[in-house]
Amino acid sequence: MKIYDFAFAPNPRRLRIFVAEKGLKIPVEQVDIFTGKNRTPEMLAKNPAGGLPVMELDDGTHLAESVAICRYLESLHPEPNMMGKNSREQADIEMWNRRVELGLFAAAGRAFQHTNELFKDRLKQFPEYGATQREAVTQQLQWLDAQIGNKPFIAGERFTIADITAEVAVDFAAQMASVTADPGLKNLARWHQSVSSRPSAKA
Amino acid sequence: MKIYDFVGAPNPRRVRVFLAEKGINNVPFEQVNIATADNRKPDFLKINPMGGIPVLELDDGTHIAESVAICRYFETIKPEPALMGVDAKDKAVVEMWNRRMEFEVLSMAAGSFRNTSDFFKGRIPQVKEYGEVCKNAAVKRLEWLDTVLADREFIAGPRYTIADITALIGIDFGRTTQIRIQENQKNLARWHQAVSSRPSAKA
Repeated sequence: MKIYDFAFAPNPRRLRIFVAEKGLKIPVEQVDIFTGKNRTPEMLAKNPAGGLPVMELDDGTHLAESVAICRYLESLHPEPNMMGKNSREQADIEMWNRRVELGLFAAAGRAFQHTNELFKDRLKQFPEYGATQREAVTQQLQWLDAQIGNKPFIAGERFTIADITAEVAVDFAAQMASVTADPGLKNLARWHQSVSSRPSAKA
Repeated sequence: MKIYDFVGAPNPRRVRVFLAEKGINNVPFEQVNIATADNRKPDFLKINPMGGIPVLELDDGTHIAESVAICRYFETIKPEPALMGVDAKDKAVVEMWNRRMEFEVLSMAAGSFRNTSDFFKGRIPQVKEYGEVCKNAAVKRLEWLDTVLADREFIAGPRYTIADITALIGIDFGRTTQIRIQENQKNLARWHQAVSSRPSAKA
């Protein structure tokens, strides 16, 4: 088993944090997105969508999509549980993970792709669209602050995959899309401090 | 138990088709009119603070939003017929394909519609050129999907799964902005014909 990884991209980081929280050690191989190594015929044979991370199983199967890979690892190693122990929890955690993905995470990704120099020659950038997505990130950060309220974690009482998605999105928005959370968002700040101080945050 | 639904929008249809495939026909639906923005009114935002539809209301008053989270709830309480995979690896493979269909087909069709249609004029900042990019991306991805379907009956392999539901709805929704299966895409046309002729497609 091994993981095709890229240290600087947000989706691979989601998987690395998940693996660290599970206490697993899985070999990784770096694939440089900056030089387009994820789009070589060899990598496209493993993942035709071209994204990272990709996990290679011992039987040669390739699994792509961060959350699909996390779900596989969750099935093999149920503890510590990060995707729900029963029907209700699984649905609830999936709801929160998707809310953060489709809201904050996706907006941060689009803001980055449409405003950052790195993407200048890779896709047709629309800075006007990028600006709307930066604004969306700001709104999503405010929304998330309200949703966190007094809860210790995004989906409730314990750390789950939804926290990983949110943590990676907040950091990515700040580092790559120049949208930093307003320090006045106290719930978000408290939560971010808490998840960032876990050893997995360095993964 | 009930589901807040809106006939005409793509995400609610995903859950309706899923339930029809499961043979679950005793969940009442309540219509929430997106066209008049009833899903953005304070009463509904208490049910789903993201404002999206569908939402599942459980008998204890819990609300589960996000189509796939709702589907996962029903998959766990009624595992047969399995629409989200049968074992650890298969579940991950189905989730991978479902997410590919979400990101590459459904969200591109949605991006095209949101940024170019009169329906969203005045509701969100529209960037028409970006809508065109989404449309072109969707058209490209259908070419790819045609090749994927050359050696398999359904999107994720030999069985009908949630990935077929997402792809069906993404492609049907694409018609709103003239994203269509091309005449030479025989595999895709064969698959679309097969999934559209299942009774669930009318849900």
